[in-house]
Amino acid sequence: MMTEFTLWDIIRNLITGLEWTVGLSLTAFLLGGAVGLLVLTARIGRFPWLQKAMKGYIELFQGTPLLMQLFLVFFGISLMGIDVPAWLAAAIGLTLFTSAYLAEIWRGCVEAIPKGQWEASSSLAMSWVEQMRYVVLPQALRIAIAPTVGFSVQVVKGTSVASIIGFAELTKTGGMLANATFKPFLVFGLVAVGYFILCYPLSHFAMRLERKYRGSSSH
Amino acid sequence: MDLVRIDAVHKHFGSNHVLKGIDLRIGAGEVVAIIGRSGSGKSTLLRSINGLESIDDGQIEVDGEKLTAGQTDLRALRQKVGMVFQQFNLFPHLKVGENVMLAPQVVKKMSRADCEPIAKAMLAKVGLAEKFDAYPDQLSGGQQQRVAIARALAMQPKVMLCDEITSALDPELVNEVLAVVKQLAVEGMTLIMVTHEMRFARDVGNKLVFMYQGKVHESGDPKELFANPQTPELQSFIGAIN
Repeated sequence: MMTEFTLWDIIRNLITGLEWTVGLSLTAFLLGGAVGLLVLTARIGRFPWLQKAMKGYIELFQGTPLLMQLFLVFFGISLMGIDVPAWLAAAIGLTLFTSAYLAEIWRGCVEAIPKGQWEASSSLAMSWVEQMRYVVLPQALRIAIAPTVGFSVQVVKGTSVASIIGFAELTKTGGMLANATFKPFLVFGLVAVGYFILCYPLSHFAMRLERKYRGSSSH
Repeated sequence: MDLVRIDAVHKHFGSNHVLKGIDLRIGAGEVVAIIGRSGSGKSTLLRSINGLESIDDGQIEVDGEKLTAGQTDLRALRQKVGMVFQQFNLFPHLKVGENVMLAPQVVKKMSRADCEPIAKAMLAKVGLAEKFDAYPDQLSGGQQQRVAIARALAMQPKVMLCDEITSALDPELVNEVLAVVKQLAVEGMTLIMVTHEMRFARDVGNKLVFMYQGKVHESGDPKELFANPQTPELQSFIGAIN
């Protein structure tokens, strides 16, 4: 039996896949941001062993392919006898991946704050936490916005890897449709358009933010 | 009664022995100018008084707050010691008034309502009352440095440290800053400054400390020292800058 797919059928299914891509991206980005903030705090904090551990964590995720990370989470957890659904494994893997990159991006932003800001706030008897909270992070945040939004594009594109462990996001949906319709060029062309629709506004927005904060004064 | 006591302070940067046993007594209300060539340890000495540089040996005491080698809790000491830097180091994301009020609010847990009159009074003292709502980058260098002085004063310190506070300023802006410092001296603030303004050190200071190779080489009344330097090193230093 042969089912005929109309163009609308293809698009309709791809939109469903796109929604999962958006959901996975948002989850990874928000949770990754939260975890990344913790990693950052430990990475630049005052405990040398924690600093080293976080440096290792970041290097591990930056130095291995995202695909391997997802495999390790997906098959690693199953190995412990716990059955993880693909979406959960993808969310965990991408969250860890995102946290490592964001922590490293943000560390650069914190370190871009001049030493004089630390010295002035030290001389005013502020503690490390107070210096971070009132002097350093507000300034670092400003310069972090553009690269953070820029990185969100990487997260969106990174979600396509989740297709390999069987999570039916945009790429996986596209693969299934291509097999069923024998029109891979059309289907994957539409998949690419889907990613572009998500990523283009983000990268455009990041560029605008970058120009804005580079050009203007610091408040 | 000495307000600041520095006893046998030593400091190394790696193999470089930058402070080789400094002893110094500073009384309340004294205005001390530390001079010397670059690399003589004068800035390091100043920065060790509020713990921005750690010391390797000896002891520093400011108004009863002690600082020794390896000490990490500096909060009590730093509340008694204000500091002004060469590069101003104002917080660029905060308005002038917020710069001045931040430490009293955060460190002394004062309410904004209590801080505001203090901040306004300190800004008035440095002649910038009308800049309360301006951002630092809207001010000239001289104005920024005066805000930095007001910010330090708002913590009501016992001693003010000034680290070459006019060195980054255009020449025409130096005097407005020095006038503020002079006013503080007249009002009885204890001041310790590393400076290249020799005329100011002589006219306003009542103690001159000449550092040479990590030691206090010569110290005493500025007018006397400038007129009759006892050591050949101070003679040549004064000769070189005149």
